Amino acid sequence: MGATPPPSERADQTACSAAVVEETPDAAVVANLGGAAYHLAAAAERPRNFYLTGAMGCTTPLGLGLALAVEEPVTVLEGDGSLLMSLGCLSTVADAAPANLTVVVMNNATYGTTGGQTSNAVLVDFAAVAADCGLASATVSTVEGLRAAYSEAQDEDGPVVIDCKVKSGMPAEHPPIDYAHAYAKHRFRSEFVE
Amino acid sequence: MAWTDDAMDGLRAAEVDLVAHLPDSVVGPLVELAVDSEMETVLVAREEEAVGVLSGAWLGGRRGALVCQTSGLATTFNALGSLSKPWGLPFVGIVDRRGGLGEFNLAQVPAGYNMDDLLEAIGIRNGTLRDGDDVAARVAMAADTAFDTQEPYVLLAEPTLTGGK
Repeated sequence: MGATPPPSERADQTACSAAVVEETPDAAVVANLGGAAYHLAAAAERPRNFYLTGAMGCTTPLGLGLALAVEEPVTVLEGDGSLLMSLGCLSTVADAAPANLTVVVMNNATYGTTGGQTSNAVLVDFAAVAADCGLASATVSTVEGLRAAYSEAQDEDGPVVIDCKVKSGMPAEHPPIDYAHAYAKHRFRSEFVE
Repeated sequence: MAWTDDAMDGLRAAEVDLVAHLPDSVVGPLVELAVDSEMETVLVAREEEAVGVLSGAWLGGRRGALVCQTSGLATTFNALGSLSKPWGLPFVGIVDRRGGLGEFNLAQVPAGYNMDDLLEAIGIRNGTLRDGDDVAARVAMAADTAFDTQEPYVLLAEPTLTGGK
């Protein structure tokens, strides 16, 4: 069974999101709805962020499709609940295997956006599941640990899954998310398509 | 010429270069044609993933097709309703119909037979591919309008065209 560190030994999610952007400033970053999106917006609001507003379970698949389309690094900031919803997609990632894809599971073991109910991520070792699918993987629980594993992932010749144990909770404040979808899609796509 | 050859001609005419699929015996040959045409193909574990894959690919500048059976399309509705439709993320769907003419399995009937109405209910445009249709033209036109208007368009291939299961 995967390690389930107590909250005091889990990383700050906003700091982890900031580390990802600092390590790969040109990366397209696809964030799961809710907490992953809020923490990314708080850490580094930028045109190459795509904040999902629904479609739980489709976050990693969307990042996979993007990685098959662009040369730049593509990083998915997954949620543990979202990945549990579509755990089979790791087999799809392993089969398609774009080297520019990194999946960071922001694993707070809760359904944070709906009130913090415990998820079954406490039972699951995501790195082991990814490894069983044939993917390179790692488990981290500090910002420094994430930074090191994420930096290494950029040099892998295939996709990497990093299970990042983070504290639950939302950032105190963050830039607004475009829930009307009128602008964000075009801002993001224009980064890659003329 | 098999209907799948015509469908592939339509996809190529519309510059589709990525097929996300979970095949069956009816659309499997279309996937094989995609491989032969050097289109990229992505085999998904669940069809809802394919909507995510095709949406991400379009955000990166590609044009994608979903190829599956109606039972699989039924698994995509949260993605259609909370990703494809509100964001305006297009793909063309070529989905073989179960649940209607010739169907032997009652489990295929509720979603398959009613798939047009289910898609209509959430505003996903759709049409059919039937025997006698100009399949290549309909597929190309469905794809073109999907990518021009930035919304999915789904074509349901009837067993009168495909021969069914």
